[in-house]
Amino acid sequence: MAFQKSLFALSLLAGFVIVGSAVQAHEHMAPMPTTPGGKAAYTRHENFKLQGAAFKAIRDELKSDSPNMALISTNAAKLKSSAEALPTWFPKGSGPESKYETDAKPEIWSDPVKFAAAVKRLQVETVKFQPIAAGGDLGAIKAQAQAVGGACKNCHDSFRVPEEK
Amino acid sequence: MSGEPSHNPKVRAKLWDGPTRIVHWSLVVLIGFAWWCVKANQTEWHLWAGYGILGLIVFRLIWGFAGSASVRFASFVKGPITTLAYAKTLSRRSAGDMAGHNPLGGWSVVAILGAILSQVVTGLFAVDVDGLESGPLSDRVSFETGRLFSKWHDLSFTTIKLLVVLHLSAIAFYALYKRANLITPMITGYKSFEADPKLRFAPLWRAALVAGAAAAVTWGVMKGLRL
Repeated sequence: MAFQKSLFALSLLAGFVIVGSAVQAHEHMAPMPTTPGGKAAYTRHENFKLQGAAFKAIRDELKSDSPNMALISTNAAKLKSSAEALPTWFPKGSGPESKYETDAKPEIWSDPVKFAAAVKRLQVETVKFQPIAAGGDLGAIKAQAQAVGGACKNCHDSFRVPEEK
Repeated sequence: MSGEPSHNPKVRAKLWDGPTRIVHWSLVVLIGFAWWCVKANQTEWHLWAGYGILGLIVFRLIWGFAGSASVRFASFVKGPITTLAYAKTLSRRSAGDMAGHNPLGGWSVVAILGAILSQVVTGLFAVDVDGLESGPLSDRVSFETGRLFSKWHDLSFTTIKLLVVLHLSAIAFYALYKRANLITPMITGYKSFEADPKLRFAPLWRAALVAGAAAAVTWGVMKGLRL
């Protein structure tokens, strides 16, 4: 009985470890690229991670019972400057042809007008967001955070390889 | 041969208790629904489905220790020797008169429950790429870790799909090759036996108690464990 219980627990644990380490290995095996396109793709990924982290920091505060307004304001400012710089993250040659594993779709470069419009939408929303975040009106912050996330999604829907579903 | 004449009319006896059957079919419906929600971009509903699945899985895990005889882990999780010995009899045309999961089926239950548990747990910490929707415990992890949980959530679901295919294949194998109907007992709770296995069933009040505990756990998790 004790043996069976521990076997049960062990098998569950084993499942977690196998799946976990497989993904972990996959995540961290990509070597630092050496080509200009690969480097640009790599840097872009790092930048998007920072952008995602800034937005998540705001969303986490909005979930809490007593949101930290200073933190929301700082991260909204980060989002604004990050969105401002975003157009420089996509030099030609940093797409799938860079051989660096990227979810950037070729359409970014083949349909630059539509891509620029999607980027502009994020810039507009983040520019709007910064003073609202500094203002401290929680309802307004929540609404504008939703608009910023909508801008992320809008661009991802067209220009990012969809996640497997 | 237990001395019973083999021409005895078969005895219809209860095998699976009501709570286990409800959990089984609710999992089928909710996991299917949660999958559809992802396809249809209904993330809010996906979260609700996940909470439902969390409650069901917590119930089933406790029920595996406190439930009726046929659904307790202790009654169907067997060691490697017993499991191997059973595996060697698979080619026989008869399914035997076992009252409950056979040793291989028992491990399949463990695998499916484990996969569903890992599915729910990874979902709790997952962060989507737009940052619009995320699991109720995702504020405990960084953006990158949350994204990693999202990938695990996806891998775990691949595991569930594989296990479901295996599950359905096994049911088809028992139906076609061994002429044993495993589906009806999971619907009605009753199965025909050569001799009444005289299984013991947990009282309903205990199921209600366990359901209350499962609901409390789920509610706490929904609130992000901020109690």
